[in-house]
Amino acid sequence: MKRTAAHWLTVAVFVGPFLALLAVFQYWPVFAMLRDSLYDFQLLDPTRRSFVGLENYFYVLTDPDRLQAFAVTFSFAAGVVVCVVPVAFLLATYLNGRLPARALIRTIVFLPVVTSAVVIATMWTFLLEPNNGLVNSVFGAFGLPRLEFLTSKTQALPSIVLMMLWQQTGFATVLYLSGLQSIPHDLDDAASVDGASAWQRLRHVTLPLMARTTVLVVVMMTVFSLQAFAPPLVMTGGGPEGTSNFLAFDIYTLAFSLQQPGVASAVSVMFMLIVLAISLLQMRVLRAKFVY
Amino acid sequence: MTRLKLLQWIGGGVVLVAIIAFFLMPYVWIVASSFKQQSAIFADMRPLSWRTFIPSQPTVENIVNLFRLRGVGRALVNSAVVSICQVAGTLVLCTLAAYGLTRIRFRGANIVFALVLMTFLLPLESLMVPLYITVSGLRLQDTLVGVFIPWVASPFGLFLLRGAFEELPRELDEAARIDGAGHFRIFWSIVLPNVRTALATLSLVTFLFSWNAFLWPLVVLSSPRNAVIQIAVAQSVAPGQLPNWGETFAGVTVATVPLIILFLFLQRFFVRGIAMTGVKG
Repeated sequence: MKRTAAHWLTVAVFVGPFLALLAVFQYWPVFAMLRDSLYDFQLLDPTRRSFVGLENYFYVLTDPDRLQAFAVTFSFAAGVVVCVVPVAFLLATYLNGRLPARALIRTIVFLPVVTSAVVIATMWTFLLEPNNGLVNSVFGAFGLPRLEFLTSKTQALPSIVLMMLWQQTGFATVLYLSGLQSIPHDLDDAASVDGASAWQRLRHVTLPLMARTTVLVVVMMTVFSLQAFAPPLVMTGGGPEGTSNFLAFDIYTLAFSLQQPGVASAVSVMFMLIVLAISLLQMRVLRAKFVY
Repeated sequence: MTRLKLLQWIGGGVVLVAIIAFFLMPYVWIVASSFKQQSAIFADMRPLSWRTFIPSQPTVENIVNLFRLRGVGRALVNSAVVSICQVAGTLVLCTLAAYGLTRIRFRGANIVFALVLMTFLLPLESLMVPLYITVSGLRLQDTLVGVFIPWVASPFGLFLLRGAFEELPRELDEAARIDGAGHFRIFWSIVLPNVRTALATLSLVTFLFSWNAFLWPLVVLSSPRNAVIQIAVAQSVAPGQLPNWGETFAGVTVATVPLIILFLFLQRFFVRGIAMTGVKG
């Protein structure tokens, strides 16, 4: 076997460019982020810096604004999961049945998935506008009270959760639909023969069979929500009083408006570790066998 | 029994209409209002009627202003350039790497793939600061190249193509090798023509993500002439300003319609590709 320079040259031509760019734009930034989180410096001149050890981390863990950003982001993710998962599950079982215009509905439900986060945030800023927005108009038509939505301290976050429900249900539904299409029909049929009602079959046959898909959907929705950036930037500016200050937006403002990239890096490191932990947890759970 | 059937039928209809209304109404309202004067938008809001969703005196003034005064044409061109370059770059790098990892035997191939998979899970949101410093160091800040170059080595693309390449029987390239074809020849005339579906899926998903990307372009671009369409849309609603509703809606429409048309025609690839972004790991 001649495993010569020519062989390795071929390997380098095929795999080299990809790895080179990956190294520059993924591995190096991760390393730089870990390093930068230990320094105090400004983006205008990143070479002038002073080593501060873990001070940035101590600051993040004690500053009420930073802690609020973590709390807000996690409550948001929890809210999105709690709303999207049941809706998507029911919608998927509904769309999986015999239905007129099924393809049309699938298309409509999926439209928000191909619409950009900025466009959606912009649309919903106006949909939720207190005086002339569509949502308050619809509420009015049904005799419901008008709400303040984004300008209220207590309603801003739930409003963004509502928007995420609209935005992400299509994606979660597609995941559930592909899960539903892969489960065997005989269990459902057997339950039907035994006289189980449609609701009982859904609750005791379909739902347990969808456990894997549910794990996937929960993780995807959590990760998507944790990464949300456009809603605070476009809709609320993180307010009122920091009640919609998501982590991604906090990192952005810390680094680029407040010129504290060291602190922003410390938040980024913690954020990255959290997202990685969730993703790895997903892998472990999905590899485990589900026994019924 | 027939009454129960009828009730079920009506119930089903109500659910159907509610689902369609919930997901479609925002689009209809935005698109319709982008053809209205600001005063007409407000006047049509209460009470709610068909006028809310269909312009009674349509005007294209908003869209004309968008292109004449707000430079949206330029932003659309910038977005198209960035997205097309990103698709092209991703296709080149990922097909080469996927071929290298599936068709050339070399020591360390598994380690390489594991290294790539690890970056799959890294959220961009955590990397924006160091990535900005890196891209600035390469003097690519505020350039369109800087917008797409960090993403062309796409772990998702490699993952998707590796799967497709693996499914292709190796007998095909062995036959070609006996005929004297080298790696580049096999890559170009045997493997690539046989994975067209995967290439189409990857192209569409990459185009979608590139066109819709917001955070990274916002970080890396600063001058207005380089703004991509998502930035142009976001700037029309910056909190604390009094926005022009009609123009903003027209911007939203212009930014979204190209993708929706693409999606309606190529839905199959989109749904497949986007569902695949979820099955990593």
